[in-house]
Amino acid sequence: MIELSDVSKTFRGTDAPAVGRLSLNVGVGETVVLVGPSGCGKTTTLKMINRLIEPTSGTIVIDGQSVTDVPAHELRRSIGYVIQQIGLFPHRTIRQNIATVPGLLGWEKWRVADRIDELADLVDINPDMLDRYPSELSGGERQRIGVARALAADPPVLLMDEPFGAVDPIVRARLQEGLLSLQERLHKTIVLVTHDIDEAILLGDRVAILNVGGHLEQYDTPAEILRSPASPFVADFLGTDRGIKRLSLIPIRDIELEHGPVVSADAGSEEIEQVMAASGVDWIAVGSDGQLDGWVPREDVRAAGSLTGVALRPFETTLDISDSLKEALDAVVSSHTSVAAVFEEGRYLGMLSIDTISEEIVQ
Amino acid sequence: MTLIAQAASGWFRWDWITNNADAIWDRTLEHVYLTALAVGIGLIISLVLSVVSLKWRPTYQPITWVTGILYTIPSLALFAFLVPVTGLSVLTAEIGLVSYTLLILIRNIVTGIDAVPADVLESAAGMGYTQGRRFWDIELPIAVPVIITGIRIATVTVIGLVTVTSLIGLGGLGFFILRGLQNFSSPIGTTQIFIGTILSVVLAVAADVSLAGIQRWLTPWANRGVAE
Repeated sequence: MIELSDVSKTFRGTDAPAVGRLSLNVGVGETVVLVGPSGCGKTTTLKMINRLIEPTSGTIVIDGQSVTDVPAHELRRSIGYVIQQIGLFPHRTIRQNIATVPGLLGWEKWRVADRIDELADLVDINPDMLDRYPSELSGGERQRIGVARALAADPPVLLMDEPFGAVDPIVRARLQEGLLSLQERLHKTIVLVTHDIDEAILLGDRVAILNVGGHLEQYDTPAEILRSPASPFVADFLGTDRGIKRLSLIPIRDIELEHGPVVSADAGSEEIEQVMAASGVDWIAVGSDGQLDGWVPREDVRAAGSLTGVALRPFETTLDISDSLKEALDAVVSSHTSVAAVFEEGRYLGMLSIDTISEEIVQ
Repeated sequence: MTLIAQAASGWFRWDWITNNADAIWDRTLEHVYLTALAVGIGLIISLVLSVVSLKWRPTYQPITWVTGILYTIPSLALFAFLVPVTGLSVLTAEIGLVSYTLLILIRNIVTGIDAVPADVLESAAGMGYTQGRRFWDIELPIAVPVIITGIRIATVTVIGLVTVTSLIGLGGLGFFILRGLQNFSSPIGTTQIFIGTILSVVLAVAADVSLAGIQRWLTPWANRGVAE
């Protein structure tokens, strides 16, 4: 969909190129994240795609057509663009802001109105908000308006420059989820720039890791990059917690679960002691037939002699089979029992222990 | 009551006002006309010069330099200099009055446009605005509050300066002030000075308040509460 071939950019007054002979392919419907330290030319690369920066040499082709075939302003109307500070027009209402590109393209009024309703629904904007001004909105709301505005004329390509860099971590996580679910429905070709490797791993179908001067160090899927970094630079950029990061890409579904020290409510004390000893734990879980009712520490069982009349403690953190091993790890380290109980649609499937998870980290 | 009336009657003549109501009204209109014309023409020239200095930055300094000099020339001297060329005419008056608006207006327009946030400019360019359209659709409207502030200052300044044009036979309400000065010893003279001065001040305040109203009406988006 987007092909960069031997693209270079040297800014006036500098000797070293900001981007040197970069070649990169982005497939249709793919999300590619450009990531790297400051000065790696990732933003320059992005801006060359919509010609906010003109390359010194090399070619950029979108959907078989060179970006220089049409005037820059016409090219840009066919490419969605989202920046960190969003740049909403303060003198225009949210409705008018979203209608920007359709307006430039000369759409008829009814068509613009229909499209705004559609987009408000898509990015989850309350219709009441449409007639307000940007200054009346929160940072997270503005960011979603920015995305809606970029999508207004339904461009096949979306360029995003640090789109979630200016919001707090909680809002950022929500917006990232929002983008993922949006992309599931829309299948846009997205090029996103970030300096945050975790964001790159979360959002990218493929991740391009750039070094200073726009040098492409590695271009692959997040899982592959984490599994085998192509250079010391990449390994260093991924950080020492590379193994843990990889956990976020592995769903619990891919791992064999343990049955766990679970007995039914009518189990005798001998059976209970046996199960605890076999699992090497000092607590026992109670449940049966896909039900997990809770757990009891060893002292409580011994004091009572059996499970009857003993107060069950609930599992504080439970996981769904579709959660990642990263979430499983968080659950395990924060639980009293050092395991995480896994469910699928409310049915108990088994447990994950810290040992199982650390085996995956080492691999 | 009678005491005040007697004291006032020493320098103030109500009957002069009632007898000359038509003339006072005509001169007030002339004052408004001279002011509006000066600010209107000044605004057009300033917009052109602002666009020039925004497009070719190096011209901004010389432009503010020249308009700055115009601003500092005493109006009396300017009229004395112009009368031999353009005569005792509205043209002479307006050349002077317009000159005084330029520095204020150009500064405010350029400052207002410069203050448009960089992210707004980038997103506008990124969505496919041409430079010209971006200026008229985005930059100028966002600069409106600052520009109108400039128009308010220029208008109030010009309303004061119009009185000076009485020296070349115009002057709006300044006409009465000049007349009054010429027969200062009579109660009619002091009445004329009083009425000319008071009405000039009233005009200035009224103009400022209505421009502030126009500003609020034109920019409903400004001064809104910020969420977060």
